[in-house]
Amino acid sequence: MLQQWWLQHKLKKLIKNCQLESVRLHYQYLLAQLNKPILKTNLLALDIEMTGLEPKKDQIVSIGIIPIIDSQIRPKFAQYKLIKIQGSVGQSATIHGILDKDLTNALTIEEALLWLFEQCQDKVLVAHHAPLDLQFLQQALLTTQQRPHALFAIDTLNIDKQRQQRKQQVLKTGSLRLNACRERYNLPIYNAHNALTDALACAELLLAQLSKIGKLEEITVGQLLNKY
Amino acid sequence: MDNSELQPILDFMRELAPFDSLHEQTIKQCCQTLTIAYYSQQQKFVHVDSNEAQLYIVRSGAFEVVTKEGELIDRVGEGQYFGFSGMLSGEQVINQVRILEDGLVYHLSAKMFDQLRANSYSFDRFFNQAFAKRLRNQGSIKNNHISTARITSIMSRELAATTYDASIFQATQLMSKKRVSSLVIMKQEKLCGILTDRDLRDRVLAKGFNGDIAVEKVMTKNPATIEPDALVFEAMLKMSELNIHHLPVMCEGKPIAMLTSTDLIRSQSSQPILLIGQIERQNNLEELIQVSQKIPDLLYNLIASDAKAIEIGRILTSVTDSLTRSLIALKQKQLGPAPMKFCWLAFGSQGRQDQMAGSDQDNALILEKETNEQEKRYFKQLSEYVCSALNECGFPFCPGNIMAQNPQWQLSLQQWQQQFSKWVSTPNPKALLNAAIFFDMRPIYGEKSLFDSLQTSVLTITKNNDIFIAAMTKNALQSTPPLGFFRSFVIERDGTEVKGIDLKHKGNALINDIVRIYSLSAGITEVNTSKRLESLIAKQKIDKEVAMSLLDAWEFIAHKRLTNQGLQFNNTQPVSNYILPDNLSSLIRHQLKDAFKVIHEAQGTIRLKFLGQF
Amino acid sequence: MDAQILTYIIVGLTFGLYIGIAIWSRAGSTKEFYVAGGGVHPVVNGMATGADWMSAASFISLAGIVSFTGYDGSVYLMGWTGGYVLLALLMAPYLRKFGKFTVPDFIGDRYYSQTARTVAVVCAIFVSFTYIAGQMRGVGVVFSRFLEVDVDTGVYIGMCVVFFYAVLGGMKGITYTQVAQYCVMIFAFMVPAIFLSVMMTGHVFPQLGFGAELLDAAGNNSGVFLLDKLDGLSTQLGFAEYTLGSKSMIDVFFITGALMFGTAGLPHVIVRFFTVPSVKAARSSAGWALVFIAIMYTTIPALAVFSRVNMIETVNGADGQGVPHAEAPSWITSWEKTGLIKWDDKNGDGKMFYANGETNEMNIDRDIMVLATPEMTNLPAWVIALVAAGGLAAALSTSAGLLLVISTSVSHDLLKKNLMPHISDKKELMYARTAAAIGIVVAGYFGINPPGFVAAVVAIAFGLAASSLFPAITMGIFSKTMNKEGAIAGMIAGLSFTTIYILYFKFVNPEANIADNWLFGISPEGIGLLGMLVNFAVAAGVSRVTAAVPEPVQQMVEAIRFPKGSGEAQDH
Repeated sequence: MLQQWWLQHKLKKLIKNCQLESVRLHYQYLLAQLNKPILKTNLLALDIEMTGLEPKKDQIVSIGIIPIIDSQIRPKFAQYKLIKIQGSVGQSATIHGILDKDLTNALTIEEALLWLFEQCQDKVLVAHHAPLDLQFLQQALLTTQQRPHALFAIDTLNIDKQRQQRKQQVLKTGSLRLNACRERYNLPIYNAHNALTDALACAELLLAQLSKIGKLEEITVGQLLNKY
Repeated sequence: MDNSELQPILDFMRELAPFDSLHEQTIKQCCQTLTIAYYSQQQKFVHVDSNEAQLYIVRSGAFEVVTKEGELIDRVGEGQYFGFSGMLSGEQVINQVRILEDGLVYHLSAKMFDQLRANSYSFDRFFNQAFAKRLRNQGSIKNNHISTARITSIMSRELAATTYDASIFQATQLMSKKRVSSLVIMKQEKLCGILTDRDLRDRVLAKGFNGDIAVEKVMTKNPATIEPDALVFEAMLKMSELNIHHLPVMCEGKPIAMLTSTDLIRSQSSQPILLIGQIERQNNLEELIQVSQKIPDLLYNLIASDAKAIEIGRILTSVTDSLTRSLIALKQKQLGPAPMKFCWLAFGSQGRQDQMAGSDQDNALILEKETNEQEKRYFKQLSEYVCSALNECGFPFCPGNIMAQNPQWQLSLQQWQQQFSKWVSTPNPKALLNAAIFFDMRPIYGEKSLFDSLQTSVLTITKNNDIFIAAMTKNALQSTPPLGFFRSFVIERDGTEVKGIDLKHKGNALINDIVRIYSLSAGITEVNTSKRLESLIAKQKIDKEVAMSLLDAWEFIAHKRLTNQGLQFNNTQPVSNYILPDNLSSLIRHQLKDAFKVIHEAQGTIRLKFLGQF
Repeated sequence: MDAQILTYIIVGLTFGLYIGIAIWSRAGSTKEFYVAGGGVHPVVNGMATGADWMSAASFISLAGIVSFTGYDGSVYLMGWTGGYVLLALLMAPYLRKFGKFTVPDFIGDRYYSQTARTVAVVCAIFVSFTYIAGQMRGVGVVFSRFLEVDVDTGVYIGMCVVFFYAVLGGMKGITYTQVAQYCVMIFAFMVPAIFLSVMMTGHVFPQLGFGAELLDAAGNNSGVFLLDKLDGLSTQLGFAEYTLGSKSMIDVFFITGALMFGTAGLPHVIVRFFTVPSVKAARSSAGWALVFIAIMYTTIPALAVFSRVNMIETVNGADGQGVPHAEAPSWITSWEKTGLIKWDDKNGDGKMFYANGETNEMNIDRDIMVLATPEMTNLPAWVIALVAAGGLAAALSTSAGLLLVISTSVSHDLLKKNLMPHISDKKELMYARTAAAIGIVVAGYFGINPPGFVAAVVAIAFGLAASSLFPAITMGIFSKTMNKEGAIAGMIAGLSFTTIYILYFKFVNPEANIADNWLFGISPEGIGLLGMLVNFAVAAGVSRVTAAVPEPVQQMVEAIRFPKGSGEAQDH
C-alpha cells in the first residue's frame, strides 16, 4: 500500500519533468496501470546483451523484446535489434555470439533507445534480474540525453527470490539464474544466449510465476513493480 | 537472418509431427502467429473458450482430456495436442481439459489451423487420425470390462520362485513366508515347472513323501503358460478348459508373474465367459445349438460396447474354438478314444482369430500316420459329426469344402507336408487361393506337436523362397482397394443394384494378404494379423511405420465393418460386408480413404520388394 | 491417305490396344476370374515370352545385319536361338527349384556371400545397361523416320516414351499386353516379307522364297536363283560373295558362343520362367516361345535378301549404272532427313551409286533396312505404318523389362542390401524410380553415341553376360565344390578380361580393330566366350586352393539337382 502510494507520487513527479515524449508516455501508462490487475496489463519482456557487466564501462549490443498481452505471449510482435558499439565486442562474443561484423548495419544507441521507448509506451517492462538491464539503459539515456531517468520494471528474479524467502528456503548460489528458475516451473530449458530467446524465457517465467501465485485478479501492477 | 525469429519455438515446432512435414517458411509463419500461455495445477482446468477455437500444443506439462461426466478420453503430454476435436467436427466442445502438471502451452488459431489443413494433406491426415483414435479411446476406456482387459492389468507383479533342487520343506516355507499358493520352479534360468498347494496335497501328503525330497519330484512339469498381453478372458478360458488355477505369465521366455484363479475372480465375470462356461457344461448337441444361438447377441453387445474390432475377433474365435472342442469331446465320448494321435486344425478367419458375423468353417485334420479302413471310419464319423454340428450352430459349411469331413483334408503329417510343398513349388492360381486359407492355420484340439512339425516344415520351405513369395505377391495384387482416380470410392454394383464398398474383401482381406506374404517370407509362426505385424517389427522385417499404419487401417476398416453390421442387425437388414459411402460422415469417408490409401501404398511396397516391379 | 498420317493412326491404335488391355485386365482380373481362367495358357505365355525376347535389336537390326553382311550376320540368329534353348531347358528349371527370383539372389545364396551377390548385381546391371543402350538406338531409328526428325532427336523422344512406359504406365508385365505386342510385331514383320516373297519368287512362305528362283516380268520362273543373283550383284559391286562370309571360322564360333552363353545369363529373360506356376508350365511355355521366335527368325534371312536385292536395284537402277538423285524414290529422300542415308556425289554425275570401295556414293545405315523395305518395294501405306508400330512394340517390350531389372537391382540389391540398409520402403521406391530415370539417360547416351550398330552393341552385352554371370550360375548348379572365392574371382576375371578387350578395340584404339590384331583372331563381339573360359579357369583354380564349401550349401546344391519332394510323392 505504502509502496504503491510512493510509486504514484514518484511517477507523477517524473511525468512533470520528463522531456522525452516517449518516456513520458511510458510513465503515464505505468501510472494508469498501478492499481489495475496485472492480468489486464500489457507487459513487455526485455533482455539485453552487453559487452560486459559494468554499465559505466560496457555497452549494449543487442535488445530483444516480446510482449505479453491478455496474459499470453505474442511471438508475432517479438522484436530484436543489434546496436552499434564503440570499439570491439571483444571476449563477450563468446557469450552472446554477436561479432563485430554483425554490427555494421546495426542501429545507433540513440535510435535503439528511441525505438525501445516507442515500443513500451503502453507496456510495463519485465526482465530477469532487471537492475542490470535497466542500469545499462539508464546509462545509455544519460549519455545520449545528458540527464538521468528513473526506470520501472517487474523483476522475475525478484519474484522468485521473495517466493523462496517466504518459504524460508535458503538461497543457494545459482538458484535464481534464469534457467534454474524455469526448471522449477517445469519450463523447457533454452540454451541460446540471445536477447530475444532470453526475453521469451523471461516472459514464460513470468506467466508461470503469476499462475503459481494464484488469485491473479487481485494482484496489481504496483505490487510487483520496482523503481530503479 | 530475420532478427525477430524465436529460435526455441522454431526449433520445437520443426521437430514436432505433423509440423515437421511442412515447409520451413510455413513453420516460421506458424511460430509467428502462436500465442503462449502457462497453465498451473492451481487453475485445475484449462479454460477453453468455445467461441474462439484454437489448437493447444503442449510445450511442457501434462493434461487430461475428460468428458463432462469426468471420464478420461486422452492424456496429453509434451509435443501433443488438444482442442482439435471441436475444430475437426465443428461441434461444440464439451470435453474438459484437466491440468495434471504445470506447463507451457502454445495456442494456434483456428484460422491458421484450417489453413494448414487445407494446404497440407499429411497435416490434415495427422489430426484426423488423432481424432479417430480419440473417438475409439472414448469407447474402449469407457468399456474397460473383462472381455477386453489384458492380463497385465490384473496380474500381481510379485513372483515367488525357487530352483528345482530345493527341498519341499524349503519350498513350503517360502510359500508361507510370501503368502502365496504356488511357486515357479526354475532350472538353469528357465521355467521347468510350478508347485501349487494342490501338488503338495495330492503328491506329497497323499503319497507320504517327507519334506527332504526335491521339488522336482512333485511339481507340475511343463505347465501351461500365458503371455502378458493375452486377454483376461483368454486366461479364464485356459484355466477352465485345463481345470487348473495357476498360469505362469511368460514374457520372452521368462516367467514374470503367476496368474491365479483368484486374480481372475477378482475381476468380475462377464458375458463371453458365461457363454463359454455354458458351452463347456452342455452334454448334448441340442443344448449346444441352443447355447450357440446366443453368439450373435454376444457379437452385437460387443459391437455396441464399442470394443476394438481386433478384440471382438479374438473373443468370437475363442467361442468357436471352445464350441469345436466341446463337440469333438462329445463325439469322442461316444466313439471312444482315437486310434492314433491327431490334431484338429482351423484355417482362415478362425485360424487368424478374426472371426466376425457369418464366418464359415474352415478346418481339417492332421493324423499321425496314414489310416487303414477302420481308422478311416473313425475319423469320418468324428469329423462329419463335428462339421455338421458346427453348421447347425451357425457356422455354415465351407463352400470350397475345406473341412475336416472332406477326406481330402484328413491327411497324415507327411501328406500334409507334401501337400504344402507342392503348393509352394507349383504356385498355380488354385494353390495360391489355397495358400491364403491354409497358411493361416492354428491347432484347436488334439496333439499340438503334429501341428508344430507341420508349421515348422511349411515355414522352412516358404522362408526366402522368392519365387513362391513373388507368385503370392502377384496374386495378392490382383485385388486393389476401392479407390479410383482422384481418390474417389469405387462402388460395386450388381446389375442396377448398388452394393457399396466391400470392406472385407477390398479392405481387411487385402491387409491380411499383405501381412501373410511378409510373414511367410520371414518364417514367422504367428497367424493373427496384428501378432504377425508385431513379430515382423520385432524381427525388423517391415518398416515400423508401415506396420503401424497397416494395423491402424485394419482396425479402422474392421471397426467400421462391425459397426455397420451392428446397424444392419438393429434395423433387421441382412448383415453384409458392404457399406455405402453416402451414409458416412465426411470425416469417416476421409479416414476410410486414408485407410485404403495405406493399403494401396503397402501394395506398392510389396510389389517392389517381392516382385521387383513398380 | 499418305503413309505418314497412317503411321500415326496405326501406332496410336496399337498403343490404344495395349492400354485397353491393361485396363481391361486390371478391372477384370479379380481372384474369381483368375481362378476360373485357371491361369495363363502356355501358348499365351509363350507369346508373351516371345515379345519379351524379340527386342528392337531382333526386329530392326538383325535383318539389317544379315542384309548387309550376308552369311556373317547369321551368327546372331544361331547364337540367340541356341542360348534360348540352353536357358529354357538346362538352367531355368534348376534355378527355379532354388527358389530365387533374380540371378544375383541365386548367386548370393549359392555362394553364401554378400560380395558374390554384389559382384553379380554389378554384372547384371552392366549387362542390362549395354543391352538397353542397343534398344534405345533402335527406338531412335523408328522415331526419327516416322516423325521425320534427326536420329538423335528420335532417341530423345524414345527415351521419354520408354521411361513413361516402364515407370508410370501400368501396362508392363501384363501378359495379354505382351501377347498383343507379339501379335503386332510378328504381323508387322511377316506382312512385308510375304509380300516380297510373292512378288519376287511366287512363294507365299518367305522361308521357301529364300531358296527359290526369281520370277521374270511375265511371272514365269526365270531360272535364276535369288541367292545366285545376289552373289552376282555383290561380287559385281566389289562386296564379298553374299553367301560366303568374311569372318574366320574361329571368330564365327566365338561370336556364336558368346551370344549363346550370354543369353543364358540375361536377367530379364530368366525372370520370365519364374512367373509361371510350375516347372512344367515353364518348359511348355518356353517351347511355345521358341516356336514364336522361330517364325520370325527363320524369316529374317529371307527378308534380308529380298530387301538387299531391292535396295541395290533401286539405287543403282536396272542397268546397274545408278539412278539420278533428282529421280530418287521417296524412301531415299525421307531417310535422308534422318541422317541415316547420305549421298555423296563423288564423280559429279548427279547419279547415286552403291558399291564397295572408292566408287560408292551412298552411306546407308543398316538399321533402316527393315523399316525401309516396305517403302522401297512400294508396298501399301498401311504396311509401312504397321512396321513402324511393330518396331516400337519390339523396343518397348524389351526395354521396359530391362529398365525394371536395372532400377530394382540398383534400389534393392545395391542400395538396400549393401550400401544403405536402413532406407525406408518409400525411399526405396523413390530410388528405384530415380535409377530408372538415370538408366534411361545413360542408355540414351549410348544410343546416340553407340560404340557400334545396334545388334553389335547388344552382342557385346551378351558377351559380358557370358563371361561373368553364366559360369557362376552353371557352376552354382552343377558343381558342389565351387566356393565363393572361386566364383567371385572368376566373375571378376571374366568380366574385366572381356571389358578391357572390348574397350581397347572399340574405344581406346578403334583403328586397330582388325582381324590381324585380335587375340586368336577373335573379334570383340566374340571375346565373351573366351572371357567365359577365363572365368571357368580362374574359378576352378581359386576354388581349389581356398576353403571348402560349407556342408549345408553342398546339400542345397544336391537338392536342386536330385529333387526329393516330388520323387517321394510317387513312391507309395
